[in-house]
Amino acid sequence: MKLYFHAMRLHLKSLLEYKASFVFGLFSQVFVFFSYYFIILALFNKFDNIKGFTLYEVLLTFAIIQFGFSVNEIFARGIDQFDDLIVDGSFDRLLIRPQPIILQVLCTQIAWIRISRTVQAIIVLVIALVNLDIAWSIEKVLVLILMLLSSIAIFFGIFLLMASYCFVTVKGLEVRNVFTDGGKHMAQYPIGIFRKGFIFIFTYIIPYAFVNYYPILYFLGKSDNKFYMLSPIIVLLYLIIPFYAFKRGVKKYASTGS
Amino acid sequence: MKAIRSIFRLNFLNDLQYRSQALAGIATQFFFGFVFIMVYVAFYESGNTDKVPMPLTQLVSYLWLNQAFFSLIYIWTKEKDLISMIKNGNVAYELVRPINFYFKWYATMIAKRVSRVLLRFFPVLLIAYFLPKPFNLMLPSNLETFLIFLLSLVLSTFLVVAISMVLHMITFFTLNEKGVLEIFMSVSEILAGGTIPLVMFPTFLYKIAYVLPFRYTCDLPFRIYTGNISISNATPDIIGSFIWIIVVTLIGYLLTRKALKKAVIQGG
Repeated sequence: MKLYFHAMRLHLKSLLEYKASFVFGLFSQVFVFFSYYFIILALFNKFDNIKGFTLYEVLLTFAIIQFGFSVNEIFARGIDQFDDLIVDGSFDRLLIRPQPIILQVLCTQIAWIRISRTVQAIIVLVIALVNLDIAWSIEKVLVLILMLLSSIAIFFGIFLLMASYCFVTVKGLEVRNVFTDGGKHMAQYPIGIFRKGFIFIFTYIIPYAFVNYYPILYFLGKSDNKFYMLSPIIVLLYLIIPFYAFKRGVKKYASTGS
Repeated sequence: MKAIRSIFRLNFLNDLQYRSQALAGIATQFFFGFVFIMVYVAFYESGNTDKVPMPLTQLVSYLWLNQAFFSLIYIWTKEKDLISMIKNGNVAYELVRPINFYFKWYATMIAKRVSRVLLRFFPVLLIAYFLPKPFNLMLPSNLETFLIFLLSLVLSTFLVVAISMVLHMITFFTLNEKGVLEIFMSVSEILAGGTIPLVMFPTFLYKIAYVLPFRYTCDLPFRIYTGNISISNATPDIIGSFIWIIVVTLIGYLLTRKALKKAVIQGG
């Protein structure tokens, strides 16, 4: 853990060497991010609800998913771009060091520049929470924390799963986009608005619905089901699969060459 | 003219090599198209559609066209060769060639976009057409509409490449294709109607988008196809496209001249 904090500091320092471009980068991230919620704002200008969900309810689901994704974009970028490590053979270097592999991969890249997205996600979250009329209780605070945690967990899990796949294919797959960007795009809205087949896939195969759909039904008082409240925990259990896959991948790993 | 024809041929053959990549691209594009459309369908099914200026069938077709022609009309398709050349100074070799620098790259960009789209647009449109309602692509209401759509799509390609050339030339001065250009990219993408058609915009933004050139690249051709802009209303817009093409091409050309002058001094 100490090692990781050290890496965090190093990456931040190297960024701050170029202050102007760092500030500019932060700023441009704001705009890129803005185009995401532009659609939501524009559509709620013409429609008043989507399958019973209001603007702020959608912004809440949106903020939760963006929060988890952006946190991963900062800290798990090394895993997201794992194929680079395999392709150029630098993964071999990590293997000979006496430190946990995943930790080392995480240390290779920390993209502080994306922190502006996390901040924005938090701002949108706060705006949504302020405008929603929520009867706060300990359970609701708990469910909110669980949602944010599981949002981080799900993207981390997918990144890790795709990284494990690189052991087999070497080069990353375009399918990855469907799971990360595609899933993210869907989970920005309450997943219940989609067609049944999609809901099934994104509930049981990739558990986006447990991150911010079922919990939010409970959170918004649309359902009293206690199971919904605890459903983000399922996502945390799902993490076992990618970790196992990655471990197996490392065991089977044969270097790409010199 | 002969040089430009061979640029076309070369790029097309080159792109044909990557058929499996194109196939993966089609699948991804299809998935995204479907997700976008489901969101809209959900909105339209949620009742009150009085305030909505575009019926669902038109909007769905608009989105499919956008998916199908994405690689043709996306504004900021980076030309990696050109950018790295500008950054590392190899652009000097380009200047020795007996062909105009601006028009060579203009032609290259068009060639790349056309070959990329030729491999992709048809399967997307075909499958979209056979999808069940309300997810299907509709046909244009008559032949005339279709022809004007084609004309406006061709014009849109020229305009998009002209804009893209200006953006690439800016990297001569900034030596960095990120930062300002990334901001510009996401804003222009919205203003072009790349996310949703302009009619769905809030009024003030609609007015801004209407005086800028970006809407001719995406919003105009697709809305003509769907019939949201009638043929008689399309005429001034087509003329508008022509004017913008000339203006932006001129800006790009002059900018190139200026940039190259500077580059020559640097190269020493």
